[in-house]
Amino acid sequence: MAQLETELQSLKTEAVNMWSLVNSQLNKARQAFITFDKDLAREVVLKEKRVNGSELKIDRDCENIFALFCPVAIDLRFLLAVLKINSNLERIGDIAEGIAKYIIDAESPFSEDLLKVTRILPMYEESVNMLSDTQDAFEKEDTILARSVFKKDDFLDNVNRSSHKVLEEYIQKHPEETAQALWILSTIRKLERVGDQAKNIAEEIIFYLEAKVLKHKGKFA
Amino acid sequence: MESTIIKSRNFNASFGTNHVVKNVNIDIPRNHIIAVMGPSGCGKTTYLRCINRMHELIPGATSNGEMKLNDEDVYQMHPIFVRLKIGMVFQRPNPFPNLSIYDNVIAGYKLNGVKLPKAERDEIVERSLTKVALWKEVKDSLNKKGSFLSGGQQQRLCIARTVAMEPEVILFDEPTSALDPISTSTVEELFHELKANYTLIIVTHNMQQAARVSDKTAFFFLGELVEYDETKTMFTNPKDQRTQNYITGRFS
Amino acid sequence: MDGKNIKFRLGKSYGFQGLVYVLAFACVIPLLAILYFIIKAGVTKINWHLLVNIPKPVNEVGGGIANALVGSIIIILVASVIAIPIGIMAGIYLSENRKSRLAYWCRLSTDILQGVPSIVVGIVAYFWLVRPWDLGPIHHKGGFSALSGSVALAIMMLPIIVRSTEETLKLLPDSLKEAALALGMPFHRVIFKVIVPVGISGILSGVMLSVARITGETAPLLFTAFGNPYLSVNIGKPMHSLPLLIFNYATSPYNDWHDLAWSASLILLIWVLFLNIFTKVITRKWKVQL
Repeated sequence: MAQLETELQSLKTEAVNMWSLVNSQLNKARQAFITFDKDLAREVVLKEKRVNGSELKIDRDCENIFALFCPVAIDLRFLLAVLKINSNLERIGDIAEGIAKYIIDAESPFSEDLLKVTRILPMYEESVNMLSDTQDAFEKEDTILARSVFKKDDFLDNVNRSSHKVLEEYIQKHPEETAQALWILSTIRKLERVGDQAKNIAEEIIFYLEAKVLKHKGKFA
Repeated sequence: MESTIIKSRNFNASFGTNHVVKNVNIDIPRNHIIAVMGPSGCGKTTYLRCINRMHELIPGATSNGEMKLNDEDVYQMHPIFVRLKIGMVFQRPNPFPNLSIYDNVIAGYKLNGVKLPKAERDEIVERSLTKVALWKEVKDSLNKKGSFLSGGQQQRLCIARTVAMEPEVILFDEPTSALDPISTSTVEELFHELKANYTLIIVTHNMQQAARVSDKTAFFFLGELVEYDETKTMFTNPKDQRTQNYITGRFS
Repeated sequence: MDGKNIKFRLGKSYGFQGLVYVLAFACVIPLLAILYFIIKAGVTKINWHLLVNIPKPVNEVGGGIANALVGSIIIILVASVIAIPIGIMAGIYLSENRKSRLAYWCRLSTDILQGVPSIVVGIVAYFWLVRPWDLGPIHHKGGFSALSGSVALAIMMLPIIVRSTEETLKLLPDSLKEAALALGMPFHRVIFKVIVPVGISGILSGVMLSVARITGETAPLLFTAFGNPYLSVNIGKPMHSLPLLIFNYATSPYNDWHDLAWSASLILLIWVLFLNIFTKVITRKWKVQL
């Protein structure tokens, strides 16, 4: 059915565009974080509207396709996956905006020691990679790439788990940097959520391509 | 700028005392695909057959109200002229069984006594068969009888026969209900291509088909036009409760 | 269900089966008997001489059935020319108009006409065409003629043609007519260019059947065509025909004439047989697969 194929194709393009948008938001926030660039952070906050608009459009398009075409099998799984991935991406967008807002509100750049000891920069980089990997996996329909995302999440969990202890020690040594430390903790939590969202996206991609439900199961089903 | 090609105002139709189509007001825009749907006996087929004046051929059938084609009242025109401008494709494919495929396509001219030079006839046949995606399949067997084709091909032949007359509007009365799913989807793809040159009005009892194929949908119920809207809106958020009940299958 | 019961029922079943076969065969026996006797008696007498000469006066050797043969052909031809157009048109009218008053009377008349004895039809033709009458300034001379015989036979052909045309056209699906009408065809073209061509095999078989039916009719010709000892092709004058010849000669006391009657019977039989076979072949060949 040519009509349905056209619609699905255009939906895929829209989803990929939203992916790129959210990816760039996350990246820009990271740049702003590293270089303490408040202007860049403000750009991110402004662009959040586009992310929200994109989410609404994709939702509406999915609804229309369901109503008009009653898709089945892989088309049905594709639409269900896109719906969920859509809201996952939007949440990642929100997180990027949140990080950018912090940077705008922060008074001074972060100390190098703090950044190094918490390993927040590698964590950030890894989370951005996870998002890019899911995008590639979706576009190329590559389930192996999608599965590789789960392993990357381990690293994020690791950093997150150890962050509590690390920051406790750091605050004891440098009590004047408590505010910054708390802020870093919050950001680490946010990035851990980015990792979780990316993992959910990867699970949806595997569901769409292989009809396997990996949610609430062990990591390598 | 869309212009309205068919306009109905206060249109009614009856079979004797049985009032089947009640007070229909509808504007059908040019070069659109309009689906007309509704449960059995809701008057949709009767209304369709009123558009090209086939309804009055049944003994005891009457109608009143305004039905305009390009602002000319169809009931003031001679029925022959109406049917030359508004073609019809029926539920069961009905190619003329004693004519070859070639003759079937050109039947509207030939059987009407219109004499055309061979080159023009050939051109019309090729053009019409190409429009219905049948040319490649039958171009080497144009002299075979029409009844040797499969159901889906026969239906496309009937559409070619209608298209050869270059009408402005083509009416379809449940055109795929007698076809298998693959033929159905071939014919549905045809609708999209025909839209460029003709206006299509399709009566169907298959809701999914109405959803897939049309730009606007009209929902008839118990003889009344209950709702007429963009198909997307009709199937995601219909305004009338009766439409919602029908679409969700709460009653047939 | 015990064994004895089943055996009895099976026996009954076979018994009935056997009975059905025997009775079916019994239907074939008359045809076989007729064919046998006529062929046996007539086949030796058929020769060119027979077909080309007219009967000779009593007690003269030779003679043939030429005048009866030609006469039959002419009378049937004229009857067909009269009956076929009227019959087909009436059949078309009836198939298109189921409920009008004219249709009711037409159908009723056709049904009754089918049952009217052939001799009564002959008498009617006698009164119309054979007796002289005056209507104001018009004076009908009257007299026996082939034409009056043809008219009588045409009246007998009509019900068959009308009925078979009507039934054939009624069997055609409505969708055929609708398809033609939807193409903007005026009604008369729909009938003559679409409906009739598709139903032509049924109509034609009806026509052939009616011809086969009247081929052997004797009674109406008794006092219309009357008979003619000489070869004539004038339809305004009396004409001989095969049934008349058989009727006259078979009951005569002369052996010569008996021979002629047998051979004429055989020819008639062959003619009817041929017509029926021809009808079947044509019907199958021209039948349109709907």
